[in-house]
Amino acid sequence: MNMLSIRGVAVIAIATLTLASSPLLADAGHGKKSTPSIGEPGKSTAVTRTIEVELFDNYFTPEHIAVKKGETIRFVIKNSGEFVHEFNIGTAAMHVSHQKEMEMMMEHGALEADKINHDMMKMDMGNGRTMAHNDPNSVLLEPGKSSEVIWKFTTTSGLEFACNVPGHYDSGMVGEFQDS
Amino acid sequence: MKIKTTVRALRALTLAALGFGPVLASEAATEPSQNANEVNISVDDIGIDNGVYRKSGIGYNGASPGPVLRFKEGQNVVINVTNNLDRDTSIHWHGLILPYQQDGVPTISYDGIKPGETFTYRFPIQQSGTYWYHSHSGFQEPDGAYGAIVIESKSREPYRYDRDYVVQLSDMHTDSGERIMRNLKMMPDYYNRQQQTVGNFLTDISANGMAATITDRMAWGDMRMMAADVEDLQGFTPLINGKSDVQNWTGIFKPGERVRLRFVNSSAMAYYDIRIPGLAMTVIAADGNNVRPVKVDELRIAVAETYDVIVRPKDDTAYTIFAASMGRSAYGRATLAPREGMTAVVPKLEKRPLLTMADMGMDHSDMAGMDNTAMPGMDHSKMGHTSASDSSKTAHKMHKGATTDPFYAGGSGLTPVAANGGKFLSYADLRAQKPLYEHRPATREIEFQLTGNMERYIWSINGKKYEDAEPIRLKYGERVRFKFINKTMMSHPMHLHGMWSILDVGAGKSNPIKHTISVAPGTTVSMETEVDAAGQWAFHCHLAYHAAAGMFRKIIVEGGPRSAQLNSQAGEG
Repeated sequence: MNMLSIRGVAVIAIATLTLASSPLLADAGHGKKSTPSIGEPGKSTAVTRTIEVELFDNYFTPEHIAVKKGETIRFVIKNSGEFVHEFNIGTAAMHVSHQKEMEMMMEHGALEADKINHDMMKMDMGNGRTMAHNDPNSVLLEPGKSSEVIWKFTTTSGLEFACNVPGHYDSGMVGEFQDS
Repeated sequence: MKIKTTVRALRALTLAALGFGPVLASEAATEPSQNANEVNISVDDIGIDNGVYRKSGIGYNGASPGPVLRFKEGQNVVINVTNNLDRDTSIHWHGLILPYQQDGVPTISYDGIKPGETFTYRFPIQQSGTYWYHSHSGFQEPDGAYGAIVIESKSREPYRYDRDYVVQLSDMHTDSGERIMRNLKMMPDYYNRQQQTVGNFLTDISANGMAATITDRMAWGDMRMMAADVEDLQGFTPLINGKSDVQNWTGIFKPGERVRLRFVNSSAMAYYDIRIPGLAMTVIAADGNNVRPVKVDELRIAVAETYDVIVRPKDDTAYTIFAASMGRSAYGRATLAPREGMTAVVPKLEKRPLLTMADMGMDHSDMAGMDNTAMPGMDHSKMGHTSASDSSKTAHKMHKGATTDPFYAGGSGLTPVAANGGKFLSYADLRAQKPLYEHRPATREIEFQLTGNMERYIWSINGKKYEDAEPIRLKYGERVRFKFINKTMMSHPMHLHGMWSILDVGAGKSNPIKHTISVAPGTTVSMETEVDAAGQWAFHCHLAYHAAAGMFRKIIVEGGPRSAQLNSQAGEG
């Protein structure tokens, strides 16, 4: 569970690289960034399993997902709640910094409790950065909407799926990936 | 019946004496052979030892606080209350929606419970969350007659946690409630120990100059107030779950767990600013109703309010729950720890806040004592809007470190500031997770000026004490907007029985749903009520000695379902 494990600095460096592909830097792209600590975007042809994840106010069903190393999984995500929710694959540290970004999105009006203002998401916040959520490891869904994430797992150590809408993670909207 | 009660009370007392406290006493109270829906509560004169001193008080099932009552949403409860005192008693279920005859207010709901009598309350539980109960007779509540209510939801809650504690605050005093009232009536500043002194005078002169200091003192003198009047009752010992700082109530957790803390302020008079150094709190409910989660470093809990938070202590260390009284005259302290006996550093109390002219809410030149001339006061335009749109971007979002709160007068000496420089919860941050009612405009507005005369310790509404005022009449089915205008320099937690108070924070349909609304000095705060509870209800400032001094009204609801309407005799059902 400890981030400062044997891989130490390398893990932190990779996490930083992953941050670079976070929503605020859309031009850094949602390309095939390989991040061994959390996995990588998967190919739909390599999918071995499909898992349905339902988002409610404010929790996931299921809350634990078992994965094998190297497996590619298609997640079908449906928001059955009345509020906007996210499904985001990452480590606890990544989620903390993503939460800060989402707080800013709310303050700027790009995100409301039950609505996403897509126009504002595309707004340039300076330095060519926008708030668009188009990363392969996450989806941000309005109530009633569905989407998919296809992900290839390397390790599950410290890996969580979380909703980083302000307040949701702290109320328990987070789940664990476990080695199966 | 009497013998059973005595044995039960003795058993509870023994358990309490052994340090097992109120939670186990509740298990002692409900005998296995009884229906799980049925609860027995005895009301007794007891001795209370808070680790600092001992005095006589009143207990439920032999202890103060009384047992935590645990109900389930949808359950029909039966509560048998036996009065073992030599005077009348009553129990009011604070925040619960129920038929008016079960509300427990003598002369309004029923005649009270006579000495030796057992009264049986029966009502359905129509809600979930954290609430509390207390006597509504005399000053029994300040003397110890209070406890907590935890109601389990029938549907899945919108948050997750691994364990759950009631953290109930109070303000025990060496003097009995009756004696305190007599002293306040005789000399209103009897308990105000933090008065300005000659030393303060000289310090202010060197800081602000002679002219400014004298003008300031004369201004306060003119109004017959003392600038230090944040608390009009000091000398109390803050308790958490019945324990003082030295007794140190401790909640155990495993590092990494999410812990739900149900804060209940059961004080007679004290507001508390609560923080847990090293742990942020995610607020998930206010006054029993779920709110959209908001993460804060510190929150202020007014008398009679409840706040539920989730904390997630990750380290194998103890944390201090620190509750500083709003006037900074005293603090309550408890601990969250991985093991019994572990403690954390206890912060020092900060400097006491002083009220400013802004807290008077009006131009000094217009002041003429404390009469209630129809001055609008400072209508702080930042709040009280009935804006239909719920857009969080226009909500007065406080950036970290900001020290403005629209629910305090601009420049107020009471504006809360987080001790660690982080975020302090404001009413403006509260949003209902799920509205209980459709949003519609109010059908009419009623203005309530909160008034008082500190010199004679008279507290009133619209200048009139309870005994001199007409009841307020509402019509079943209307939506009434209550506009509170605070003409005094104290904060008043206004509590309407039987119906929800939808506090206007400018969020339209997401306005938070509460039962107790604190109105700060010199401010105007509005709330709306859907009048859907027939009968008659109490409505009052929940500061115990203010309510007794006249800041109280009876509300009569006209119309509604026949079976629920007012009968000519009270106390039926």
